[in-house]
Amino acid sequence: MFEGVFTGLATALMPFNLLMVVVGCFAGTFIGMLPGLGPISAVALMIPITYTLDPSSGIILMVGVYYGAVFGGSTSSILINAPGCASTLVTTFDGYPLAQKNQAGKALALAAYSSFCGGTVGAIILIFAAPALASVSLSFQSSDYFALMLLGLTSVAAFSGKGQVIKAMMMTVFGLMIATVGNDVITGAPRYTFGQMDLVDGISFLLLAMATFALAEVMMTIMRGKMFSTSETMQPVALSSMKLSMDEVKEVAPTVARSSVFGFIVGVLPGAGATIASFLAYGLERNLAPERLRKMFGKGALRGLAAPESANNAASTGSFVPLLTLGIPGSGTTAIMLGALIAYGIQPGPRLYVDHPDVFWSVIISMYFGNLVLLVLNLPLIPYISRLLAIPPQILNPLIIFFSIIGVYLVSFNTFDIQMMVFITLMAVGLKMLNFPMAPMLLGFILGGMLEKNLSRALVVSDGSFDFLWNRPLTFSTMCITVTILLLPWLLRLGKQLTTKQLPAAD
Amino acid sequence: MNLTKDRFGGLLFLLLSVTYGYYAADIPLLPGDRFEPFHAQTLPYWLSGLGIIFSVLLIGLKSDLSSENDVISNSNLLLMLGLMAFTFAFSVALPWLGFPITTSIFLASSYWLLGERRLKMLLFASVPFALVFWLLLTQVLDVYIAPARFIFW
Repeated sequence: MFEGVFTGLATALMPFNLLMVVVGCFAGTFIGMLPGLGPISAVALMIPITYTLDPSSGIILMVGVYYGAVFGGSTSSILINAPGCASTLVTTFDGYPLAQKNQAGKALALAAYSSFCGGTVGAIILIFAAPALASVSLSFQSSDYFALMLLGLTSVAAFSGKGQVIKAMMMTVFGLMIATVGNDVITGAPRYTFGQMDLVDGISFLLLAMATFALAEVMMTIMRGKMFSTSETMQPVALSSMKLSMDEVKEVAPTVARSSVFGFIVGVLPGAGATIASFLAYGLERNLAPERLRKMFGKGALRGLAAPESANNAASTGSFVPLLTLGIPGSGTTAIMLGALIAYGIQPGPRLYVDHPDVFWSVIISMYFGNLVLLVLNLPLIPYISRLLAIPPQILNPLIIFFSIIGVYLVSFNTFDIQMMVFITLMAVGLKMLNFPMAPMLLGFILGGMLEKNLSRALVVSDGSFDFLWNRPLTFSTMCITVTILLLPWLLRLGKQLTTKQLPAAD
Repeated sequence: MNLTKDRFGGLLFLLLSVTYGYYAADIPLLPGDRFEPFHAQTLPYWLSGLGIIFSVLLIGLKSDLSSENDVISNSNLLLMLGLMAFTFAFSVALPWLGFPITTSIFLASSYWLLGERRLKMLLFASVPFALVFWLLLTQVLDVYIAPARFIFW
């Protein structure tokens, strides 16, 4: 393990890769700060640039962007009460009230310190957890992979929120359907190409990610009319001192420690991600706080700001565990990174640890550097970076659209891809208006090819019988977890209904 | 039964899944593939079936009316459609007019559509940007971008 750590350290410490971390953190902070554009959009926007780099540098850049975007999202949450992404929504609960009390500097500093601690704890656990899980997963067979992918797809749907489970399942199926477009990976038979040569290679992952996240998010911002209010009413509040007193540090230290470990565990669960981690950590801290401090939650409580910030960064790190060890992305952002790794010809999973230790370890180590860069370089520069919010939205939005389409065009040099992007963006906007989540679709699309290959292998080995689902203990137990997760929302709802029916009867 | 957003979405997906399943029959199979446990049509048929099941569930289940309040004005909808039309026009014009001209026109018209009316801003935020970006791609990053077709007329 230590040999791998040193290889990763040597790769991550290369001047160019360090530069990539810094550039990634800055770019991510810029993009993440823009309301509506979160880490998924930020990472998607970076993909065309990473294609010109070697795999380690490319992934390091993306990791930097990921962290930067989460940090940028927190900054806009605190300064203008507009979360850059869903995982920093909870930050607005106490971050913005603090800013209104003329403590914006303190709130930003606390968010940065908490994020740093969360990321550090996450990176340390990851160093030990990832190789352990990777060595176990070397014995996995195609049936196990099929079951694990099914678990990943189901979890994303199951954790998607009240009333969204079926919609998320539908979007997963839709993503799998899109993945079947193009020549069949096994037999080479053309599927759903309708005689179009441009569809023979299937729909590009980059095109789909850009259209459904970057472009569709900008279009939704325009349609909701938010771009007109950004410059007029969402003026950033003035920054104040960034110092924290010793008493304040003592108050938030246990919160940061608890939320970091808790956030990492939630982040490891496929599909749970940083958003759920931040909400759960906030809820946990509010329940644990003494009565006097509990009343402060929502009005500018330091604990209320530290908890989600530590948890979402630790969860961002945790979501790399299933990606790096099993090749199954735990969140929308890691799904995009999975696509990028596959485009490099690197298959994430247990073999990544053996075949590409430089990529595996440099990603983990650069996560830590990313946290350092955010704390040491980005935090002091926040007053200057936040001026980005002053760029008129009527100028900024067309530029984002331009970078999205040109990013796709510069990979294929085919204008058909831009036309396809327009079509997919319109479809994504329609689906968003109908409240369908996009992340499960992207996950379904990315896992579609692998799922089909593993299912095909498992079925051929078992001679067309489905007994492979229960013959191996690992496959069977994964399938049991999948079914439990799938049925859990309905079982919980049923339990609640039964309890409410019994209560009046008892009265 | 009201036609809520959820049910409308469910109906759309039902239509999509049925059409997807119908076209699965058009996927060519290799000789003997039909007798294999898994072939090119297998997953599409399963996905079509799953899509139909989930759509019917969404249509049949009690709809959450709290998600019905996303108000979008017609003018903003037109803005979005206008930008999409400009993007489509950009893709059509790119091979004919070349990168710098198409990009300048696309950016200036998009700024204008979103409410920017200052001529100086329209020009300075589009033409120099397009030229610098084009020079960066072709001269610094050594990316080949085909010249405009009208040059060869």
